[in-house]
Amino acid sequence: MDTTGPVERVLRGIAISLVILFFMFPIFWILLMSFQTNETILRVPPSMVFEPTLQNYRALITGRLETQTSTLEIRFMSNLYNSFFLSATSVAVGLLLGVPAAYAFARLKFRGSEDIAFTLLSFRFAPPLLVLLPLTIYFQQLGLSNTYGGLIWVYQLIVLPLILWIVRGYFEDIPADVEYAYRIAGHDFWATFWKVSLPLAMPGIAAAGLLAFIFAWNNFIFALVLASADKQPVTVGALAFVTASGIQYGQIAAGIVLSITPTFLLAILAQRYLVEGLSLGAVKG
Amino acid sequence: MSDTIRSTRRPRRFRVSRRFLPYLLSLPALLTCIGILIPFGTAIIYSLQRYRLSQPWNRQFNWGKNYVDFFYDPNFWNTVKVSMTYAFTAVTLQLLLGLGIALLLQKRTMFNNFVSIMLLMPLMTAPVLASLMWKLMTNPGFGILSHMASLIGLQDFRWGSDPKTALLTVVIVDIWVYTPFIMILLLAGLRSLPKQPFEAAALDGVPRLFVFWRITLPMLMPFLLTATLFRVIESIQQFDIIYAMTQGGPGNTLMVFQVEAYLNFFQATNVGRSAALLLILWAITYVLSSIFIKNWLRLREKQRGEA
Amino acid sequence: MYDKEKTLADAFVAKKIDRRELLRGMSALGVTTAMASVLVNASATRALAQNGFDWKAHEGTTIKLLLNQHPYTDAMIANLENFKELTGMDVQYDVFPEDVYFERVTAALASRSSEYDAFMSGAYMTWTYGPAGWIDDLNEYINDPSKTNPDYNWEDVLEGVRKSCAWNGQPGGELGSADAKQWCIPLAYEQNNLTYNQKVFDAAGLSVPTDLDSLVETAAAAKAAMGGNNYGIGVRGSRSWATIHPGFLSGYSNFGQVDLTVGADGKLSAAMNTDVSKTFHAKWVDMIQNSGASDWSTHTWYQVGTDVGAGRSAMMYDADILGYFMNGPGNAEAGNLAFSAFKANPDAAAPTPNIWIWAMAMSSFSTKKDAAWYFLQWVTGPEHSLFGAREMDLVNPSRASIWADDIFRAKLSSSYQGYVEMHDVSAPGASIKFTAQPLFFDLTTEWAATLQQMVARQVPVDEGLDMLAESVNRQLAEAGLR
Repeated sequence: MDTTGPVERVLRGIAISLVILFFMFPIFWILLMSFQTNETILRVPPSMVFEPTLQNYRALITGRLETQTSTLEIRFMSNLYNSFFLSATSVAVGLLLGVPAAYAFARLKFRGSEDIAFTLLSFRFAPPLLVLLPLTIYFQQLGLSNTYGGLIWVYQLIVLPLILWIVRGYFEDIPADVEYAYRIAGHDFWATFWKVSLPLAMPGIAAAGLLAFIFAWNNFIFALVLASADKQPVTVGALAFVTASGIQYGQIAAGIVLSITPTFLLAILAQRYLVEGLSLGAVKG
Repeated sequence: MSDTIRSTRRPRRFRVSRRFLPYLLSLPALLTCIGILIPFGTAIIYSLQRYRLSQPWNRQFNWGKNYVDFFYDPNFWNTVKVSMTYAFTAVTLQLLLGLGIALLLQKRTMFNNFVSIMLLMPLMTAPVLASLMWKLMTNPGFGILSHMASLIGLQDFRWGSDPKTALLTVVIVDIWVYTPFIMILLLAGLRSLPKQPFEAAALDGVPRLFVFWRITLPMLMPFLLTATLFRVIESIQQFDIIYAMTQGGPGNTLMVFQVEAYLNFFQATNVGRSAALLLILWAITYVLSSIFIKNWLRLREKQRGEA
Repeated sequence: MYDKEKTLADAFVAKKIDRRELLRGMSALGVTTAMASVLVNASATRALAQNGFDWKAHEGTTIKLLLNQHPYTDAMIANLENFKELTGMDVQYDVFPEDVYFERVTAALASRSSEYDAFMSGAYMTWTYGPAGWIDDLNEYINDPSKTNPDYNWEDVLEGVRKSCAWNGQPGGELGSADAKQWCIPLAYEQNNLTYNQKVFDAAGLSVPTDLDSLVETAAAAKAAMGGNNYGIGVRGSRSWATIHPGFLSGYSNFGQVDLTVGADGKLSAAMNTDVSKTFHAKWVDMIQNSGASDWSTHTWYQVGTDVGAGRSAMMYDADILGYFMNGPGNAEAGNLAFSAFKANPDAAAPTPNIWIWAMAMSSFSTKKDAAWYFLQWVTGPEHSLFGAREMDLVNPSRASIWADDIFRAKLSSSYQGYVEMHDVSAPGASIKFTAQPLFFDLTTEWAATLQQMVARQVPVDEGLDMLAESVNRQLAEAGLR
């Protein structure tokens, strides 16, 4: 594997540059846009030369958007908070429910285990729109509409299958010997689970949690239909810059940058786990 | 018999819970999700009705008529075709690209780790917002991509607004957003492969292409299947990107299931047809996923046997 | 708190001093122009409070509104304190982006939520909400003197606009008929006319088109004159019913064409494939292919407006208020846009613009309907409309008295060339030209999709229209309307 010739190294270099260009250029462009006014963004032809301005970020953070005619109140920061709160809580709940279940499916083969596992995954198969309308009606009757609780429950449909699937694979690949040895030493099941199995599976759990967080963060349709204005996440909130009197591209760009930042920081923090954690067979080595 | 002997050595507390333990661990998750079956059931009932919110007096059971009508409806078959084409094209390209990138970044170096995290950024951009940005970048006037296309001689490339290139355009956005998901899963897979078979192959001087086809790919299969499973489910149910880019147009070029169902429901308020459409989508997803999961389980069993 | 300011404002309202004197006096007291407007209006509100109507009947009640993010909403919110003071009520509101607004309304109403007492609606949407039983007939309130204040002056609302919000619920039933229910009350409305770039027209020596043929020619000439990526005429083209309702239907109906015909038996049938219609479609399609935007099929309100504001298109045949917004600061072509009423048919007597109406409707699930009505009559009443029109962007106001207001006319004429004249010419013929019926959104969206196919040359115009008519008739029959 280490015997790479110079030609191959050059080819690899070109390939990786192209990949970075394709995936990072739009991000770079968005970043540039976030420091421009609408007028410079809409120039023909587009240009990279402009006088940077912080007005987009200022508008988002202070919550006041000065347009030509009036001052608009924007709730972007509270949208950002909602996104964070909804995603983090949903993932926490998802982990709490999903990790023990994943362990059960991986370790304790029991009657109906595959059926239950498949059923859990299959909740992901239902198109979101299918359940959405009846759900609004039931939420109304149950008093769940417009509550964080109701949303977090619905978000389980997004996060739980993903967590289950990844963490289960991870547990399956941790050799059972370690746990067995600990148990022989006289510890009961819960102690073993808590002290041995969980720490061993930590990278997998972290990685699954992060991916689930991203998918929860990016969700659009559930929150749109089920939550009122004060509970909306950024995916809906950012559309507020598409106004009848014009699209505020600069603010949308700044909004995207701000909405990527928390997840990106999280990814950097979890960097070590992220790749290793998804390596189902990491321990097998 | 051996069970009873072993259990006598264990603390009593543990033995009692042994039988219920797996259920204790897995049922909370199941019970949390099971509630969704109620709206699901309601949706099935809707799909068997002639039900339009704007004509409440017409509401009645028409049993399978919504489904039978699809059979004769060219728009429905167009929807099936477009959804399948979209999912197949997007997922195939993403798999190839994701695998390629994962192979490039396989070695554990600071640079590679850094790049792999950077490449996750598109995945962190919500598809709704990503589509808005791509729409701006492909605008014929001030769009940077249209400008670049004209520099390389594509003077009048119309991206999402031309039926000939609309599918390509939304697939590119889909690739941009979701390839990182496949890349990260496959990268993890590659890095977890055992070293011995590769070392042995290298010693024997086996050609690298052969190693890739006969060792790397088969061992990577569970990862490929997992990645494909989640991507197939999502791309056949694609909504955000297509709706934001073209609303299913031009004409009926990009009328996929969820976009059609969304318009049926929110605009036409034709609840019955919308629900029937989505149930068919659900059935397609169910069948496809079952095939994947069966293969996944079989593969894992086989690998466990080898290990 | 603002005693001196109040005195000044009262003097202004009583016409003792003029606007300039008022503002000078106010600025001497350290009050900004915006603040002054609200204060002026506070005194107008005090005048309203003394009209003998029991404004305080619902004191202490809180109502909640569902609103679309829009300049009309800005005007409403800016003036809200005055309503609270007038009635002693509290008002809460949820504002949603326009892109997703109607999804929210449908979700809230379909689940029979009592959260919102009143909400903003388009007139077309009430053709769904009304028959679905989600909104109330407001005639009961308007015609009840114990519920409506004596200065409300309902007859002041332009007839075409007022009637366009009323429908008897019968598929094909005439809007504003004697048995019609008033499903909503207009806040303000849009006419579809020409907005053109005066600078471009002057440079290329073009004159304002007067009918469809000259529109096609002028668009082509403008495109040739502008060169580059620019184009001659902006019209909407996305796969949505909203592509049909602005310029397209306004021109179409000017030729006496309709979407559906209503038979003597009340049955509906498609009317888009007449010979006149085919000619009109062919010209329209040709115009887009030759001088429209290259990405026309994704053009919504936003793109059509942005391009004319950025100087990429020479003109647009769309909502007049879109041109109004694009002529404001922050746009490259601010101040260069001019307006003209447009009559597509050379033989027609006057323009017949189709209109879009932002209106207020009352939720049937509200538990505080009488209180909500207090808000509705205030926000659609002459006093708030005047405030919105003069001080905010509540254009086009739907009340004749506001159009007669000199300050408002002067404000428009000073920076929006030809706007007032355009409105005066086309307002008498302005109304909704669609046939009210439950399948409005599906059928009209299909119409737009067919138009896209014609422009993309996937189907010839004649054949496309015959197919469309056939499909429309089939769907009408399925829904029991044919």
